[in-house]
Amino acid sequence: MGASPAVSPRPGLPPAKPSANASIKAKTLAILNNSRAIGAPDGLSRATSPGGDAQDLAEQMNDDVRNQFVAGTKLGEGTYAVVYRGHFREDPTKLVAIKKMKLNVEYRDGITMDSYREMKYLQELSHPNIISLFAVFTSKDQNISLVLEHLPKGDLEGLWKDSKISYTREDIKAWSAMLCQAVWFCHENYILHRDIKGNNVLIAADNTLKLADFGLARSFSEPGRNMTCNVITRFYRPPELLLGAMHYGGCVDVWSTACVIAELATRNFFLPSETDLQQLTVITDLFGSPTEADWPGVSSLRHWEVNFKSAPPKRPQPLSHWKQRLPLMGEDGIDLLRAMMAMDPSKRLSARETLKHPYWTNMPRPTKKENLPGMGGGEQKMGEDLKRPGGQIDSGRTDKVARKLDFGGK
Amino acid sequence: MSKATPRASNAPKQRLAEDGGASFPLSSSLRKLSLQQQQSADSPSDICNVCKSSRYLNPNMRFLVNPECYHKMCESCVDRIFSHGPAPCPIAGCKRTLRKVKFRSQTFEDLKVEREVDIRRRVAKVMNKQESDFENLLDYNNYLETVEEMTWNLILEIDVPETNRKLKLFEAAQKAELNPNATFRPIDDQPNTSTLSDTSHVVLKKGGTQRKALATSFGDPFGGDDMAGGKDTGFVFKGLKKREAPKPESPFDPFDGWSVDAEHYNLQDNYDHQWIQNFKTDPEYYAGGWIQKDYWNRMMMEALGGMAIFIEDEIVARENAASGDAGVGTENAAGAALGGKDVDMMDVF
Repeated sequence: MGASPAVSPRPGLPPAKPSANASIKAKTLAILNNSRAIGAPDGLSRATSPGGDAQDLAEQMNDDVRNQFVAGTKLGEGTYAVVYRGHFREDPTKLVAIKKMKLNVEYRDGITMDSYREMKYLQELSHPNIISLFAVFTSKDQNISLVLEHLPKGDLEGLWKDSKISYTREDIKAWSAMLCQAVWFCHENYILHRDIKGNNVLIAADNTLKLADFGLARSFSEPGRNMTCNVITRFYRPPELLLGAMHYGGCVDVWSTACVIAELATRNFFLPSETDLQQLTVITDLFGSPTEADWPGVSSLRHWEVNFKSAPPKRPQPLSHWKQRLPLMGEDGIDLLRAMMAMDPSKRLSARETLKHPYWTNMPRPTKKENLPGMGGGEQKMGEDLKRPGGQIDSGRTDKVARKLDFGGK
Repeated sequence: MSKATPRASNAPKQRLAEDGGASFPLSSSLRKLSLQQQQSADSPSDICNVCKSSRYLNPNMRFLVNPECYHKMCESCVDRIFSHGPAPCPIAGCKRTLRKVKFRSQTFEDLKVEREVDIRRRVAKVMNKQESDFENLLDYNNYLETVEEMTWNLILEIDVPETNRKLKLFEAAQKAELNPNATFRPIDDQPNTSTLSDTSHVVLKKGGTQRKALATSFGDPFGGDDMAGGKDTGFVFKGLKKREAPKPESPFDPFDGWSVDAEHYNLQDNYDHQWIQNFKTDPEYYAGGWIQKDYWNRMMMEALGGMAIFIEDEIVARENAASGDAGVGTENAAGAALGGKDVDMMDVF
């Protein structure tokens, strides 16, 4: 029973020589011993000695998971989480990012909403364009740590902001396709991401885009249950959320996705604004004021009266404006973007329809993954991105303020 | 100047005498070969062989050579003689036609070396096989031996026309193999190709020949086999691996091969249920983008999505995947290593 010393008497301390195999053996032994009578042979009973009692099965399993990983240097720290670089204990070449959630004042007794959502949805989604969650464990001070994929090449926003990187329309198509696939996969599994933005699309070492930060995700709603409309970072928030819709579907993510693609093409924020009210103005400047005719039922949304009842109607910008603004997208790309950004969510393309658009199969063909440009902001950027709570823009004082969700009581 | 010349001519002789006994026969013969270039002491390299002007009078003088015959002459002579088009080499006994564009300043002091480097470069460009192209090392070494033989044939001017012809054929065969769809001007085996003027080539190219070549290349897409058998490719190397043509790219799939279509149920457009009908007509729902069909779809999926899925098979598949590719399936590997089901990620909390 050489393996039994691996069952540490003190719960906090990791075993002296934690190889995964040894700990498995130890665990199975411990389970066996617990179910057996006391009159077992000497070698076996040692595992049930005081050391075994001090640590219950759940703690042991947690330790086993935790000991698979080694945490390294700190990559970023926010009010919400600390991100470390780490690696598998068995194979130091396999890097991971360990996101350690901080205890939140508002959720002193439990898991924060963000980490709960992130765990709940990431463990179910397994797609090459969605960040993978390897494991979850708690540490001594009861902080939850998520072991995520290590994505060292920065994010999409860093990519277009870096003037040293130049890219072409083929590259944009390749990135957009990966992003749309990720969104499509979420929606096929009835999960709304609700915080798609350049900051949350990270780039893996092999140039694959990975959708990250599921802190605001939720599953598609049941009818009769309200959803909050105070989600999605402002620049990427679709008009129905700004108008206070409490029942929405996958189309909110499609709008955000279109914003991210347009950002890539213009190398600037597509619909930037200072406040939520101004955001609606920015959108209507481009798309025109919504009316009952082109968006049936819009006047019954909560904030419609405040915004449009007395305001003079605005006309949408012509196609030439789009062509001028997004020369890199081409005709079909602009058609796709306009269809993804239809004001009326029921006329907007669904994520599946997005991928069926001819833009993807038209020439030019998207760049192959290995030829995509970019050096990205590196690990530091990933640290920054993972530590941030959802729904926020990087700059400004609101960074430090905990998020408040409006569940839309009338 | 007059002082420098004797010293320059004496020094090499002295050195030769010094280490003549000790050096290997090959290196000494090579040295002799290069020393022959040093010509006589009366015509130092600073005097142009054509106009006899010397660097002493014109310090900015540059000497140029033409790789056709490697006769050295000064820049002003090149300008004077070749400015109006190709002309024969002015050096007595050399009748080669030279063109001005080909003149260049020499890289190596020794013109023999210069010439050998040029020849080696030319041969290496055509015969560019690597060890990985061959089945085994012996075949590769045989190939290298052939290359060296060709090179020395050219350097020592043994059997030059035949060697050149072989090189040309081999080059054409290589190109045809690399890009089977391209059309190539067929290479004439007769040596009189060079006597044809350039314009006649151009006419041929624009004329019917090209179309004919196209037709043949389309008619016989696997020309490689034919070439090995019937046509002369210049050289036949044993143990040369057959080059595999890269597969044509499949059209871009926006779904990247993923499909999540329902297998065991059909989704209808509408299900008649009173409770849900109310939401259909509520503007708060349809204006906000809540889509009823998504709800139906989800309900069906949650009720029937697990049909015909057997957990045992999944576990076996997962373990296979874990043992196969640990890099991709790290999550699977972790799960499988821990006994498959008790520490799956779902059960951590």
